[in-house]
Amino acid sequence: MSQLTVDSTATWEAELEGRVPPHLSEEIEIFETQIAQKRQGKIDDKVFAETRLRRGVYGQRYDNGQRHDGTASRALEYPCGDLTKGPNTVWDAPGMLRIKIPFGAMNGEQMEVLADLAEEYSDGIAHVTTRQDIQLHFIHIDDTPDIMRRLAAVGITTQEACGNSVRNVTACPLAGVCRDEPFDVSPYAHAMTHFLLGHRDAQDFGRKFKIAFSGCEQHACGLANMHDLGVLAQVRTTGHGTKSTERGFKVFVGGGLGPVPHQAKVLREFVREDELLPLAQAVCRVFGRLGEKRNRARARIKFLVAKLGIEEFTRLVDEELAILPADERWTAYLDHLDVADEHPTRPGAALEPGPRPEGFAEWLGTNAQRQRQAGYVTAAVNLPLGDLTSTQLRALADTARRFNGGLVRNTVEQNIVLRNVGEADLPALYAELRAAGLGAPGASSLVDVTSCPGTDTCKLGISSSRGLAGELRKRIADSIRTAGVLADEAVKDLRIKVSGCFNSCGQHHVADIGFYGVSRKSDGRTMPHFQVILGGQWTENAGSYGLAVVAVPSKRIPEVVERIAGLFVAEREKGESFQSFIARVGKARIRQLLDDLTKLPTYLEDRTLYSDWGDPREYTLGDLGVGECAGEVVTAVEFGLSAAEREVFQGLLELDRGDAGTAASRAYAAMVQAARALITTENIDIGNEPDEIVGEFRTRFYDTELFFDPYAGAKFANYLFRIHGDAETDSGEEAHRRIEEAQLFIEAAHACNQRISELQAAGSLKRAV
Amino acid sequence: MNATSATGLDDLVKLDLKVLASSESAAAPEEFIPVFHRWITERVLPELLIDVADYSHVHEGPGVLLVGHDAIYAYDESRGEPGLLYSRRRETAPETAGIRTLNERLESLLLCAFRACDQIEAEPQLNGRVAFDRHRIELRVNDRLVPRDDETASALGEALRRALAEAGVAGDRGPAGVQRIGEARDRLTLRTG
Repeated sequence: MSQLTVDSTATWEAELEGRVPPHLSEEIEIFETQIAQKRQGKIDDKVFAETRLRRGVYGQRYDNGQRHDGTASRALEYPCGDLTKGPNTVWDAPGMLRIKIPFGAMNGEQMEVLADLAEEYSDGIAHVTTRQDIQLHFIHIDDTPDIMRRLAAVGITTQEACGNSVRNVTACPLAGVCRDEPFDVSPYAHAMTHFLLGHRDAQDFGRKFKIAFSGCEQHACGLANMHDLGVLAQVRTTGHGTKSTERGFKVFVGGGLGPVPHQAKVLREFVREDELLPLAQAVCRVFGRLGEKRNRARARIKFLVAKLGIEEFTRLVDEELAILPADERWTAYLDHLDVADEHPTRPGAALEPGPRPEGFAEWLGTNAQRQRQAGYVTAAVNLPLGDLTSTQLRALADTARRFNGGLVRNTVEQNIVLRNVGEADLPALYAELRAAGLGAPGASSLVDVTSCPGTDTCKLGISSSRGLAGELRKRIADSIRTAGVLADEAVKDLRIKVSGCFNSCGQHHVADIGFYGVSRKSDGRTMPHFQVILGGQWTENAGSYGLAVVAVPSKRIPEVVERIAGLFVAEREKGESFQSFIARVGKARIRQLLDDLTKLPTYLEDRTLYSDWGDPREYTLGDLGVGECAGEVVTAVEFGLSAAEREVFQGLLELDRGDAGTAASRAYAAMVQAARALITTENIDIGNEPDEIVGEFRTRFYDTELFFDPYAGAKFANYLFRIHGDAETDSGEEAHRRIEEAQLFIEAAHACNQRISELQAAGSLKRAV
Repeated sequence: MNATSATGLDDLVKLDLKVLASSESAAAPEEFIPVFHRWITERVLPELLIDVADYSHVHEGPGVLLVGHDAIYAYDESRGEPGLLYSRRRETAPETAGIRTLNERLESLLLCAFRACDQIEAEPQLNGRVAFDRHRIELRVNDRLVPRDDETASALGEALRRALAEAGVAGDRGPAGVQRIGEARDRLTLRTG
């Protein structure tokens, strides 16, 4: 018999002693202490919640201790009893850990540790996000300090991955090898990451702050236009008649998606590289000082920039810059711009004719791109829904070590890219990837559907975005295989992006065809839907944002894609882009094309539409119980809400026609109509005067908080209050925003109506007056 | 003296046990989604079950998971070999409260995994298309703090043989053939059959 003794008191803290950087070690120890204090009730719930969020420890669906099984909401009796890790967040409930991967860059050792952690603490899956992070799900909070130590030992931190902080600094995954960029932005993204991490001027924000770097203006890789701070590489000549140049950046501020997207404004046409970090610091100071703190719905910097105007915002930034105490870190990194350099480890020989592995040609056509460096290419690993297993992650680390020294970059399209691969090595590389199940073609094409977590794990999810994205992947792949309409060259490079709710984590606004989850009532039940978003532009760093056309039941969305793609294939003009085509045919035509899909069957006619993709439970937004009386009331309200939807759609058409003033007026009228529809549940005699409607709406639905979204609170109601009495505008951008807001207000009215039905059914509705 | 009482392995909670599906099994992982949802609703197992996660889109992945507080169950497809994976993470359920030794823990693991296998084999929705070979089992230490050396593998293998015998899994294809599989960097994994 063996005389083995395993040290059962072994810990990761002891195991990794000397390998965790002291500042991160101290950070993790503080968090571990806070966990202990929370267990003893010595930290306030809200404080602890923000504490853990700033370390990437996030909530997950069902962490309020409730789960609806399709017929009733049932308690999940976690063993921790009343212990919570934040308001309404049960301690023992599984959570998500977001791991920051600055500009998506990972080495082999880091990939192996991530693979280990996914196996030991999560579900064996590493998930690549739309902001180049890695997320692990079903994590217990008690395990997080050890996970953080193991990550820190290989140079990764979760610090400020969530919460009101500077999130992961993203960058174009082709930075350094792209043929269009003036220079590699990677070292600048690296410097920005480390400069602002834990910086005292970036600790007092009302909301999160996202930064992105891009190497060029025309592609989408960096998405600089849709970030709080977007940084675009530029080179300019210096002096007169000389050929000297200097590096710098065009800097954007106040962009963002979310429920109402904002295009970023230009803060500086050109800042020199030594001016970049102080400028970012000054922006953080202005945001920290003047950004909204109480109303979370308007706390992103985009609202501050919109409120102040870019000129005033710029003036305030200049004021801060003038008084900033000098910091040697502003320029010290410029002596180490090779910090993020990646060098090929194999020769860059050309791809010679010869035998090829099965599927190689198709993969080569979509997944490989020539680099600036002759003889080298980038190779994209197309991940289904951004997921890969621990085994695949280790295999990828091995493959990367063999072909490029072990370095990869995560992409905002939820893929992973290997760079500096010699062209001649491509068949062997592909063979290895294929053996690991990582050789799927179609990266960055129609089949490469992006999705946020949605109802799978996100607490805010309304519809199953991953379920839909998975189904679309299958159907598109089938159509391509069988030479169906989705195989047509015209649609090959279109992008589809799906969000589970209006919050845009799936980046649906910048897709060619985007979807976000909503719900509708039908036959006394709730049915999952997606809003169809058209007109967005992925290229030119997310150059424009799309708008909702119509809501369609979730299960019919694949048909939506086929019809829209089919129309484009059949009727596009020579050389016409998808965006131009949509603008030409108009949203009314598209709506007509999809009209029959919006007609809802009764439950008995087709039950399948009353559940979501990949989830057999009858769909609900919570506890559902609708009586017949409520059903009648709902019918009347739905009628009014439907009228409001029509009004906003007309506004959309006006906007397309270029009449911003009328579009904005219609958006306002739509909100008033939706508010009136809700009021009819309590006061059937309500008139048509906006003042009266808004006043009654305020009393009956705002003051009582009946209209409040469970997570966004008063946000949508405030859209109406903000423009009531000041509805006129000629600004196209403002009209665009109001259309968005009106659509969200109507969605909120639908949700409010559902809550009223449920409260009436339960006999617990309190009358406002 | 118990084989593992002096080894520290008695404190080892994070263990995975996979029962491989028989070669005739013919169900797609997606078919387990409604089954596992129903298990949550009807509280089919005596522990807290929380959620279902679908990874059937991933190559040789964890398939479809039934996530519980103490353990994850999965119709797992890793290495291209489908099977019922039972991955224990913690022990808070009354059923596991009294466990003190590795032997007791392995018996408990086998009980939980076999119970889930029985349940799946009897599922009307699967119509008898899934069966498990209870002689083909993988035991994995899901904790890299535990040494992955031959001594640990040997002690664990001995305990597994005993637990299998206790569970009545014996005979020609029984517990005698326990071998270590996987690479050095993998979690310590033993396989029978």
